[in-house]
Amino acid sequence: MRQGEISSKGAWTGNPSGGVKAPDPIILPDATTRFARTATRLEALAVGHPMATWLHFMAQLSRAQQVAANALGHLAGPTQAAVDLAVAARMPPLAADGHERDIAWHDGLAVLLDTLDVDATTAPAREVIAALRARAPAWVEALADGFLQSGVDVEDAGAALYVAAALQVYFTRLAADLSVASLRLLPERGLCPCCGSTPVAGVVTASGQTPGTRYLHCSLCATAWNHVRAMCVTCGQGRGLSLKGFEAGSDAVKAETCDDCHTYAKMLYQAQDTQVDPFADDLASLGLDLLVAKAGWARHAPNPLLLIGAADSL
Amino acid sequence: MHMNRRQFFRVSGAGLAASSLVALGFSPTPALAETRNFKLARATETRNTCPYCSVGCGIIMYSLGDKAKNVTADIFHIEGDPDHPVNRGTLCPKGAGLLDFVQSPNRLKYPEIREPGSTEWKRVSWNDAMTRLVKLMKADRDANFIANNAEGKVVNRWTSTGMLCASASSNETGYITHKAMRSMGMLVFDNQARV
Repeated sequence: MRQGEISSKGAWTGNPSGGVKAPDPIILPDATTRFARTATRLEALAVGHPMATWLHFMAQLSRAQQVAANALGHLAGPTQAAVDLAVAARMPPLAADGHERDIAWHDGLAVLLDTLDVDATTAPAREVIAALRARAPAWVEALADGFLQSGVDVEDAGAALYVAAALQVYFTRLAADLSVASLRLLPERGLCPCCGSTPVAGVVTASGQTPGTRYLHCSLCATAWNHVRAMCVTCGQGRGLSLKGFEAGSDAVKAETCDDCHTYAKMLYQAQDTQVDPFADDLASLGLDLLVAKAGWARHAPNPLLLIGAADSL
Repeated sequence: MHMNRRQFFRVSGAGLAASSLVALGFSPTPALAETRNFKLARATETRNTCPYCSVGCGIIMYSLGDKAKNVTADIFHIEGDPDHPVNRGTLCPKGAGLLDFVQSPNRLKYPEIREPGSTEWKRVSWNDAMTRLVKLMKADRDANFIANNAEGKVVNRWTSTGMLCASASSNETGYITHKAMRSMGMLVFDNQARV
């Protein structure tokens, strides 16, 4: 039926895809808000939590990380040619185990320790800070290499926490300055396309242009990348996958367990809680880790801010 | 003991005793105590294709239950599959109402027959249904099969019976439909896409 006096020109004027878009494959971190957001979320989760004092301390640490990230500012980072070369070879351009660190990360660590070394911080935490300050830069550098590559000794667990926190700041700063258009997902979809690290957790979004999409968040540089849902992030199988959560508890945090490779990774559902933060919610759901581990699944990779002795590693 | 950020590991009380948490003077005891009060619940996300039309939208079905034998998984939510290239997580109103379609009390679960002239639906066994169907098809085919057309050419047509199949069928299902029906001379069959 013709309406009004305007005749149709026969040309389609709508949006050809009807507003339906493919999800962005990679979302780079915002180094100016990343750690502050985690700190705020940790404070919120600490209320009434059995591990409240620890979560408060981790919130303090995240705030110190934000101060360090702001102080560090923009870093030189790899050249665009180096990034292009790595991406063309399907390698992560900031490969955590191969990247030559800018000495500036020590400045970030110093700011982080200064910010954290206040009376509000617990005495053992301040003792570890003092001990770490007394160490030679070469020792700290070796600990950083150990953390990123081979592993660290249990005696250094305290110092490793601060070094890991400072490396998160450094790598987040670098990743934030990359050009997202020049990056590409790795063939190994479970690893970060920027630094090749394992994710800390996955977030199933409920807002934005592509709600329902799953993003894995890098445990080191905080880059988020798209990963197909209902598929194990470690082995890529979907048959033996299921979601485990507390019978009476938040529906926002689930452990995605795989019966093929017997590992699990945590998934956060934004639809259940709009405020979820992969770094904070992962720490606050330590109880779920314990219960799922007791049921026989191994965690896909640790959270760098909670390094746990691998007594019965696989 | 050693800790590595690239390792699979089981989170345990013993592991926590040698963790960065303890190294900074915190106690893992409350977290360990907390787990004693909780049980794990299991849910699954399963990929499937919407059964309604030929667009073939991807869906994710959520079900509760532990897949144990004799326990039917209880589907409690269905949403568009955000990874599916056809619909990218979107669904039309019919697809969005799939949960009620699955849980509908009026869902057809076995063959039923309403005899000519009757107003009642009567449950029959699969065997009876198949036998009756085949008998009726054969009777109709024997009566109405056209072997030659007016010019005497061989055509082998059976135009008095038709068949309507489902839309969300795979190529293989379509192939079998075609082979089974065409070999009897049937011309009128379709994979409906427009319910």
